Amino acid sequence: MSKDVKIVGFCCNWCCYGGADTAGTARMQYPPNIRIIRVMCSGRMNPSMIFKAFKEGADGVFVGGCHIGDCHYDAGNYKWNRRALLTKEIIQEFGIDKERFRFEWISASEGEKFQRTMKEFYKTISELGSLEY
Amino acid sequence: MSGNYVLAKSNENLINEYGACGGAVSSIFQYLLANDVVDGVLTLSKGEDIYDGIPRLVTDAGEILETCGSLHCAPTMVSDLISKYLPDKRIAVAVKPCDAKAINELVKRHKIDPEKIFTVGLNCGGTVIPETAQKMIEKFYDVDPSKVIKEEIDKGQFIIELEDGTEKGIKIDDLEEQGYGRRENCQRCDLKVPRNADLACGNWGSEPGWTFVEINSEKGQDILDKAISEGFIETKEPSEKALGIREKVENIMINMGKRNQKDHFGENYLSVDEWKEQWNKCIKCFACRDVCPICWCRECELEKDYFKDGSDSAPDPLGFQGVRLSHMSFSCINCGQCEDVCPMEIPVSKIYHKLQRSYADLVGYEAGLGDEKPPLYSPLKENFD
Repeated sequence: MSKDVKIVGFCCNWCCYGGADTAGTARMQYPPNIRIIRVMCSGRMNPSMIFKAFKEGADGVFVGGCHIGDCHYDAGNYKWNRRALLTKEIIQEFGIDKERFRFEWISASEGEKFQRTMKEFYKTISELGSLEY
Repeated sequence: MSGNYVLAKSNENLINEYGACGGAVSSIFQYLLANDVVDGVLTLSKGEDIYDGIPRLVTDAGEILETCGSLHCAPTMVSDLISKYLPDKRIAVAVKPCDAKAINELVKRHKIDPEKIFTVGLNCGGTVIPETAQKMIEKFYDVDPSKVIKEEIDKGQFIIELEDGTEKGIKIDDLEEQGYGRRENCQRCDLKVPRNADLACGNWGSEPGWTFVEINSEKGQDILDKAISEGFIETKEPSEKALGIREKVENIMINMGKRNQKDHFGENYLSVDEWKEQWNKCIKCFACRDVCPICWCRECELEKDYFKDGSDSAPDPLGFQGVRLSHMSFSCINCGQCEDVCPMEIPVSKIYHKLQRSYADLVGYEAGLGDEKPPLYSPLKENFD
């Protein structure tokens, strides 16, 4: 039996983390494989944090931020957007499927979107299996 | 300003004898020093032989002559010398297109003051690693490398001149097919005329004894005008034919570079497994980081606790090269230094240049050109899909 997959999710304090909270208070079920790490803004994310997560054994990494235009700090998610594109290019060079890294804009009221995204991402990652890299 | 061309030559007979094609570059430098427009001129002078080039800061106009001539077999970079050691000086510098790109990127990072630097670009068809050059001259030219007194890259040929004045040329394409010739990054290069420098000088399309100059900035125009009025150089209009020849040469070279990019990043690109083998050779010497003209952080993330691994084995590729790639690959200028210095001969510059190209395709940012900040530093609110 294969080990269950591990997913690390970085959620921005103002939107996506709130979205996860909304999902929680409404008792919407989503896979327990995701370990959420709260960051103040998706603009705080560096590609190296994603690499570190993969290096330490994550099978998938998710980053959630505010919708474009809604950033609490005005433009953090624009910055993350650019870094995310680069991150996607880099991980593929090292033999990591680009599907293992996902980023999404989820607002604090979108508990349902958070649940749906997590279910989808879990499905993708469990189909890909454990990361051998 | 682009599209402004003149043919220039030195007024002093001295340079005409020693310098390459017209000596206009040397005379411009002499003008700058003699009139105290700059504190120094950073250029390359010949070391022991033609395979040895030493960056040299010239502060006396009379010494400029000692730095004349081209050195294709001594690839060097000057941008980090300026940012590290000459930040407060007014400097004029002779640059290859990749040097000009590096200076451009460092200006964007506030490491070089654009007010204090004047760049005279030299058209560049590529450079050769000294060791490769010597082997190649022995093997294909059947000549003792130490007997070569001058080399030149012209009309697709690598030409050497011997002590007795005889010249020998072999097509670069043929040399490169056999694994010799220019450095791999130079084979991929698609900037041959440094339009990102204030002036771009070269012999393509020029008449014997004249240098073809393209003026790329107001500063370039201003300095050229003053050098003329002070009597250091004389200029004339290039003919339509000369312009045509120059454009043709440039386009052939650019197409060759683009073709090589396709080849190096397509069919001949390393597979993930091959890369793994390459990264396994890494001995964590940090030479690629230290030599990179774009890398400038005072505290390198690679030396932070969370990425340091105490083991003696090769570092985790994603945690080492991956981090470096995420810091600067979008600004990679394809100078090839990282690959040159790697003691384990890992083809490092290939992956950096490839990522620069693919990131440019995504967001349209060309490293080292224009005033636009790299997307990762840009305050602009652009949304990319």
